[in-house]
Amino acid sequence: MLRLDPDTGKQKWYGSDGAKSVLSAIISILIGMAVGTLIIVFVGLTKEGISLKGMWEGIRLVFLGVFSTGRDGGELTFGFNPVNMGNMLFRATPLIMTGLSVAVAFKTGLFNIGAPGQYLMGTMGTLTVGLTLGNSGCPVFVAWIAAFLAGVILGGLWGAIPGIFKAFLNINEVITCIMTNWIAANLVTWWFDAHDIFKNSAEGGKVGYIIPLKNVDVVTPKMGMDVLFPGSQANGGFWIACIIAIGMYVMMTKTTFGYELTACGSNRHAAKYAGINDKKNIILSMVIAGALSAAGASLYYLAGNTEFFWSTYLSLPAEGFNGIPVALLAANNPIAVVFSGVFMSMLNIAGTQLKSLTAYNEYIADIIIAIIVYLSAFSMFIKQLLNKRDKKKGGNK
Amino acid sequence: MTSEYVIEMNHIRKEFPGIVANDDITLQLKKGEIHALLGENGAGKSTLMSVLFGLYQPEAGTIKKDGKEVKINNPNDATALGIGMVHQHFKLIEVFTVLDNIILGAETTGKMGFLKKKEAREKVLALSEKYGLKVDVDAKVEDITVGMQQRVEILKMLYRDNDILIFDEPTAVLTPQEIDELMEIMRGFAKEGKSILFITHKLNEIMAVSDRVTVLRKGKYIGTVNTKDTNKQELSNMMVGRPVQLEIKKDEPNPKDVVLKVEGLTIPSKIHKNNAVKGISFDVRQGEIVCIAGIDGNGQTELVYGLTGLEKADAGTVTLCGQDISHAGIRKRSEAGMSHIPEDRHKHGLVLSYTLEQNMVLQKYKEPRFQNHGFIKFDEVRKYAEKLIEDYDVRSGQGPITVARSMSGGNQQKAIIARELDRDEPLIIAVQPTRGLDVGAIEHIHGQLVSERDKGKAILLVSLELDEVMGLSDRILVMYEGEIVGELNPKETNVEELGLYMSGAKRQGKEAESC
Repeated sequence: MLRLDPDTGKQKWYGSDGAKSVLSAIISILIGMAVGTLIIVFVGLTKEGISLKGMWEGIRLVFLGVFSTGRDGGELTFGFNPVNMGNMLFRATPLIMTGLSVAVAFKTGLFNIGAPGQYLMGTMGTLTVGLTLGNSGCPVFVAWIAAFLAGVILGGLWGAIPGIFKAFLNINEVITCIMTNWIAANLVTWWFDAHDIFKNSAEGGKVGYIIPLKNVDVVTPKMGMDVLFPGSQANGGFWIACIIAIGMYVMMTKTTFGYELTACGSNRHAAKYAGINDKKNIILSMVIAGALSAAGASLYYLAGNTEFFWSTYLSLPAEGFNGIPVALLAANNPIAVVFSGVFMSMLNIAGTQLKSLTAYNEYIADIIIAIIVYLSAFSMFIKQLLNKRDKKKGGNK
Repeated sequence: MTSEYVIEMNHIRKEFPGIVANDDITLQLKKGEIHALLGENGAGKSTLMSVLFGLYQPEAGTIKKDGKEVKINNPNDATALGIGMVHQHFKLIEVFTVLDNIILGAETTGKMGFLKKKEAREKVLALSEKYGLKVDVDAKVEDITVGMQQRVEILKMLYRDNDILIFDEPTAVLTPQEIDELMEIMRGFAKEGKSILFITHKLNEIMAVSDRVTVLRKGKYIGTVNTKDTNKQELSNMMVGRPVQLEIKKDEPNPKDVVLKVEGLTIPSKIHKNNAVKGISFDVRQGEIVCIAGIDGNGQTELVYGLTGLEKADAGTVTLCGQDISHAGIRKRSEAGMSHIPEDRHKHGLVLSYTLEQNMVLQKYKEPRFQNHGFIKFDEVRKYAEKLIEDYDVRSGQGPITVARSMSGGNQQKAIIARELDRDEPLIIAVQPTRGLDVGAIEHIHGQLVSERDKGKAILLVSLELDEVMGLSDRILVMYEGEIVGELNPKETNVEELGLYMSGAKRQGKEAESC
């Protein structure tokens, strides 16, 4: 129920649906961080060699990891750390894209658990086209666009498969998504297995990796990131992800296309009644979701210095699955996905800082992420609790 | 302490943000009586019953059972007190069978916790037999008709041996004969000493079956009267708060050109292997209301699906305004000149999570008026929605930005009718346009349909309500088992004859059918 202002009769901003989504996300995050803190204390108490001071340092790093600037005279120092900040944005880029992928599908009533597979297909398309064109001597600018588009198109087509099954045979997209994930993992492994030209054999000790795109100079421009965050891996990919997020927001809320997609997602029967082609929209929605996930992979590998371990058939990329908590934390709002994506990658940076500066390892951060993943599924539930509280208040007036 | 009343609800007050749904309402139910609760949509009937059933907690007031004050915190408490309810919107699990739905929550189990379905089945069959509530106990709920779902709801309550029975608009989907039977059942219950609360807006039923009537209007208690001391006109005036026109006023029809021509239309059934619509032919002209009458489940739904394109036809042609639309998609048909007021307003009529204004442009969002290069013109949508809300008197909490789900059923229907009539198409297909609506709203909608007819629209009405069929239509086509078994003139026929055609006892020859 909506909370109305007694004077104006209008909805108060903090009673709005959006504000509640933000609040429930913050509650999930705080609980996650609190549990992380407890774990640091428990580990500290049970493990020899970690003092009370060490625990305190661990806690501070969990919360302020990105602002850590190392140690000075044995004490942790905090401040603006351009490398950490830049790397945070860099690692956030693929998470934002897979988050968008899951969020857009959610809005249209589909659960896209196929982001890892789409991400892998994007990786394959981008690396293959990027390396081929990079070696052929065509202009870098053209090669970059071709590589990016190749990833996006391949991901979109891959996303279309569950969409087609859902639209025409009414087969649940979750099942087909899981199957296409593993098919993608094997397909990508086979593809790179069969083409030695992509394998990075030049550098010793790097067994099983694909040649990074920086070797052929097909690299995303920095777009000012090197000035803002010198020494970090950050590049223009983050800005591209932000622009895509805004584009998705506009598409979903301002256009007839978004209107159709959401109508199909909310009530397929009513959409059909109104003459909207529900089958087409279900497929298109999955194509967009697939393209977004794949774009995440493309932007990540077009950074240049990232390397892809080609024999991936035994595991799926975490970036794909992490799109789900990113979308849930953001309550499927494309703009909020940018922030939740950045937040998730901030925890990641905190993990690396923990490892390098204290006796703790980076898995603490993974535990916190895992807890937030759990709680983000509860964020709908928390929102309901908030609504219930409102109802009671509204009723007791 | 004994009391004359088995249930007393004293000075109940229930608020929702922005509205007072129940304001100091008192309802006293005697043992063994049939007590009708009458009121328009949004009068607070359903809220009051939800309070009694434990779904809502009142802000003020007390509930007494046999003179003792009780607290009903949830439906389980209500069930423990012997209160059973048939909800207006069915609370059934679609993928369960009828039997599973009936026993759900009241399962009898053996020692090991296994379900004793056989006994349950016998009990259900016995009840179904005894009260003439025909159901297919093994069918899945999603596959059976709305009418049968209603019967399942009634059986659910019977199965639980409740002695205070709440019927929330139970007759909305029943045929005249079934309604009569239900009335008999209710009288039987009352004789057995059970007490019945009967929520309705149908004055005929109140006059026929109830002992006393309590009238609510806009959340307020208007009064309780003995049925035998009152009449329909007085009740409807109490309910609406102004004198109401009960008869439909309309002039002679003036049919002109044929708008819709249907020839040999055959549509397969989704549930059964046979055809739901078997090669039927008819036409609808400008300026006339043609009504498809029939008992629920005789192919009317499928016929409408076939006409509107929701379902594919096996054979036959549909011609609209001279254009063959037999194989056209839904949007094509709609653009060729077809408005459709759907049977199920929640399934087809509205996107419930959309706002009212978004629903108002459900077909029109692509028109240049509402979009510019794919971007929706929100100002135009808002203006249009506000105009429709004004013109068709759609009431909602927040105007155009009200979420459709939060609106009352009557206003949801008004919104759909506003949207469909305003599209100004030559053919209007109205399927049970007044289902579940109150007298005031029905009067309004009937008036609108008649005025559309007088403007030269062709109207195909599908209705299960005999009053509506007789009062509104200019021609009646009776459907029985997928065929048109008779074409009747409402002026020359009567309800009894119509009933015979509807039940298949009588049918006209082939030559009469084609005229």
